[in-house]
Amino acid sequence: MTVNDLEARLGDPADAANPLGFAAVLDADERGELLAAGEQALRDYNFNAELVPAALGGRLVQADRLAHTVRAVFRRDSALGIGYGVTSFIVSIPVWTSGTAEQQAGLAALLLGGGRVAAAYTELPHGADFTRAELVARRTGGELFLNGRKDLINNVSRADAVLVFARTDAAPGSRSHSHVLVDRAMLPADRHTIGPRFRTSGVRGCLLSGIEFRDCPVPVDTVVGGPEGGLGAAMETLLRAFQVTRSVLPSMVIGGLDTELRTATRFARGRRLYGRTVAELPHSRTVLTGAFLDLLICDSLATVVARALHVLPEQTSVAAAAVKYLVPKLLQDAGYDLSVLIGARSYLRTGDFAIFQKHMRDIPVVTLAHASSAVCLASMVPQLPQLALRGWDEDAAGHADPRVFEIGAELSRLDFGALALTCKGRDDLAGELLVTARELAADPVLGPLCATFTAELRYLRTRCGQLPPRERTVIAGRRSFDLAARYAHVLAAAACLGVWRRGTDPFLADPRWVVGALNRLAVRLGREPVDAGDAERFVFAELSARFDGGLSFDLIRTVLAG
Amino acid sequence: MSGYAPFALTERLEAALGDASDPQNPFSVYQCVRLDERAEFPAEICRLLDEVGLPRFYVHARDGGELRSYEELLQIIRLLSRRDLTVAIAHGKTYLGAVSTWLAGDPELRGQLATRVLAGDAVSFALTERDHGSDLLASDVTAHRDGDSDGDSYRLTGEKWLINNATRASVICVLARTDPAGGPRGLSLLLVDKRRLPPDRFRCLPREQTHGVRGADISGIEFFDAEVPASALVGQPGHGLEIALKAFQITRTLCAGMSLGLLDHALRIAVRFAMEHRMYGRRLIELPHAGRTLAEAYADLLTIEATGLLATRSIHTLTGELSVTSAVVKYLVPTTTDRAINELSKVLGARALLTERYADGAFQKVDRDHRIVGMFDGNTLVNLTSLVNQFPVMARAYRAGRVDETGLTIAATLAEPPREFDAELLALVARDGSSVVQGVPAAVQEIAALAALGEAPAALAAQAKELLDLVEEVHAQLAEYRPSARDVPTGVLRLGRRYAHCFAAGAVLRFWLANRDSQVDGPNAVLWADAAWARAAMARLLHQLRPAEDSDDDSDDDVLDRLIEPLCAQYEGDLLFSVLTCRLPGAGS
Repeated sequence: MTVNDLEARLGDPADAANPLGFAAVLDADERGELLAAGEQALRDYNFNAELVPAALGGRLVQADRLAHTVRAVFRRDSALGIGYGVTSFIVSIPVWTSGTAEQQAGLAALLLGGGRVAAAYTELPHGADFTRAELVARRTGGELFLNGRKDLINNVSRADAVLVFARTDAAPGSRSHSHVLVDRAMLPADRHTIGPRFRTSGVRGCLLSGIEFRDCPVPVDTVVGGPEGGLGAAMETLLRAFQVTRSVLPSMVIGGLDTELRTATRFARGRRLYGRTVAELPHSRTVLTGAFLDLLICDSLATVVARALHVLPEQTSVAAAAVKYLVPKLLQDAGYDLSVLIGARSYLRTGDFAIFQKHMRDIPVVTLAHASSAVCLASMVPQLPQLALRGWDEDAAGHADPRVFEIGAELSRLDFGALALTCKGRDDLAGELLVTARELAADPVLGPLCATFTAELRYLRTRCGQLPPRERTVIAGRRSFDLAARYAHVLAAAACLGVWRRGTDPFLADPRWVVGALNRLAVRLGREPVDAGDAERFVFAELSARFDGGLSFDLIRTVLAG
Repeated sequence: MSGYAPFALTERLEAALGDASDPQNPFSVYQCVRLDERAEFPAEICRLLDEVGLPRFYVHARDGGELRSYEELLQIIRLLSRRDLTVAIAHGKTYLGAVSTWLAGDPELRGQLATRVLAGDAVSFALTERDHGSDLLASDVTAHRDGDSDGDSYRLTGEKWLINNATRASVICVLARTDPAGGPRGLSLLLVDKRRLPPDRFRCLPREQTHGVRGADISGIEFFDAEVPASALVGQPGHGLEIALKAFQITRTLCAGMSLGLLDHALRIAVRFAMEHRMYGRRLIELPHAGRTLAEAYADLLTIEATGLLATRSIHTLTGELSVTSAVVKYLVPTTTDRAINELSKVLGARALLTERYADGAFQKVDRDHRIVGMFDGNTLVNLTSLVNQFPVMARAYRAGRVDETGLTIAATLAEPPREFDAELLALVARDGSSVVQGVPAAVQEIAALAALGEAPAALAAQAKELLDLVEEVHAQLAEYRPSARDVPTGVLRLGRRYAHCFAAGAVLRFWLANRDSQVDGPNAVLWADAAWARAAMARLLHQLRPAEDSDDDSDDDVLDRLIEPLCAQYEGDLLFSVLTCRLPGAGS
């Protein structure tokens, strides 16, 4: 099935009579309910099949395509995206990564049958510090006894199965936790309690609750990977699984910015101020074009890294965290700029532009889900010195495997086991940037622009190489976090350049969008942009054409319903 | 120090309003979050505010009220906003509705309005229309002079929309077209008494549902050939736009109080969490990245406070410059605060998004609420454009070194009460630019001299010198700008942003210079020692003026991290987050 099939099922968002349109989405949000018709539509589409590997009977082959497909849901309603799909996605990846064949088949059957699963990771006292998770699974013969609680779990109250991240060894360290996949039906009613709902400012329809276990017995074969291999393996599994979830989840959420940008463009076209439309004001064009470029930057970075999961699986441990840090940030900043452009109507929960404020509330919740920016940056920091030493060497740089940049091209199936825990200093994306800069050195516009990013990488190389030991850990200071953040911008520039150079679509093959995109990134780094000539006019024309033609703003330019 | 006089009012009102952290108190954070959820207007709290006498501060002393210094109104707005922005708007907007009359109304009209305000009536300001937003010149509501030109009434027709308190107010100040030909002199202000209109001559529009301040009465009003006496005219016919713009110069400056209050609340929640929560085996506040994020938000708050206090006092002492001052404040303060709240949300993580079950669910409400501050009373773009339009005079005034040193010094020196406000001095364009910015060279010189004597840290002098270079650079660019009739190019707006940061840095330096001797003792002494707060504020502003690339050295690190200790001390001591001392029993922490 294609994106267009899912989009067609969702129908025209602007049609007030569409049970899946924006009016219905907003109504459900006001009531704090998930859109029931939306859940039904996704069931009918067999949405869960997108999450199940083809080898297990589903449709999941490529990480980037998964994100592109699911984006259709996030363009419409992030609450539905999270509440129906993403939770199951987060549960399933560790099972595809480390589960036994039986567990994988079982989860695949459950999902393909329309079942729901919940991910029980968060303990409020420890937040993202998983190594200190306290919920205990104590083994007694053929059983595990669960004790403790997890909170902020999406869908736990109505899930068929729950993946619990549990401590199976009292010792500190990274071999003390296990994933336990429990069937809700087999939990004795008197040994567990579902807590009251947590309500949130965004995705108000999502059903977040806690679960508490009291000496709750489950069979020992619920340990993901089996009691032999799986006990103590959860942290390592997560280090692999996170590479997939952190690349794909932010990419899905790009759909939210698509709707914000479309709404802002509609506003700017229709609104007259000072004798002409807002869209005719130079500043408005800059804001709209900037948001479009940010969206393209987000998609380039996320898609390239998702493709790298297939092509360069030994190198994605840092890049995936960079996606999860930078994409949400760009999405939120662009949304903020658009809200200033729209003004008061971005603040209204009713009327023609009400969908804007909903996305503005939803995106921070959705992007926070799973890992905060600080956690992502902290996870990048320890690898920076080695990357600096080996990966960012101008003399040793070579092209990356071109398949990572070939948007839309097919890739072989995702091999979860091939994902390496660290990069060991390899960084082909940075290498691609360095080589591209050399090859384009004579180009009057892209030459100096690429040089800006190679200069940045040189700066990062020096700084990261000098980091004292304490600054290479998760408790590092601001300076290390800044370096990780700046490196994420360089990766984004590398991704944009690669997408442009391998672009077959006439827009993506035109250098003007990449000039605009790299200028945006340069300004974020506090570096001078180049004179972009008519890049803004060109990119704005593309934005207008897509708006008029009902095409999505992302790399794949899909046809929208309505 | 001698206490800062307006904080005595804050402390008195805080006591009268009761403990903000006590859920039983109707004006507590807990109750305000519940009202917001239910989108309920805070009527009971507004009655309480009437009882404690707040309306007296919405009436100028010459008209029988107690408003003498705008500082006090700023602090009132700040303290209300710290508990609930909806309340600050619901109640405080009466001043917005009344200010045009205070500025331009004749004594009789002012007397009538004063009676109403002092009696607790809400007054509203009806400017914007559904199809025109900030384009006030395009207003479609008309007021026809009845009969011949000597007739003694107007007939009002048309709709005003997105008006605070349009429904609840009994008096409403309406901008209407009195000259069908339009133009800048085609609009007038009418102070309409809704009680005297026949019910079939107007209709209040339904309340709009909003992203934040969900309980506020943001509605509208439509008039159907409604007869209003000519005596309701505020000032001269045709002067409506000018009066409104001058009124905005005051209210836009006072908006700093909203940001200050909300940021105090957000920071208080984040500090509490960072002190309680543990990560990687230590308290969150001890993790360098998290601690720094809090320190940055605190430095931003103190920057806004210094800028806001100086700007507010300058309403009295640099009145003719207010078109620049107010635009700087209304652009810079909400934008900086939006950003700071967003950064704080990252410290809180998921707790920033909960509508209940952590810190009363208040953080997400503060976040939603504050977003409106940058939108109403002239949004960010309107204010930046207003700055851009004044670039030529600013450039000239800077070159000429024009500084009202007396007015600037009084504006900065808290120990001296500012002189009485004179509305006659308000001007649509600041002919003399901004003394705060044009006074940067003198301030830099003074700090250099103090540093040579060992009375100012050398590091502050170095920051000041860097600022001066940037101010020179900005003015060189201002001088090159040639205004065009219609288009404001994007790059020029960026220059407007840089100018606003220069203004804030100038305000910080002046504020430090003028008050450093009076603040050596007391609970905040550590903030003033070695100019700690001023250096942190300058570090933040310089970082904005010359982002990232050149900040290779680590000199900012120390100066920001030094703020964590006073931040925690103010939190634990139930003090307002401030460079000055203000006690808040039951700060809601």
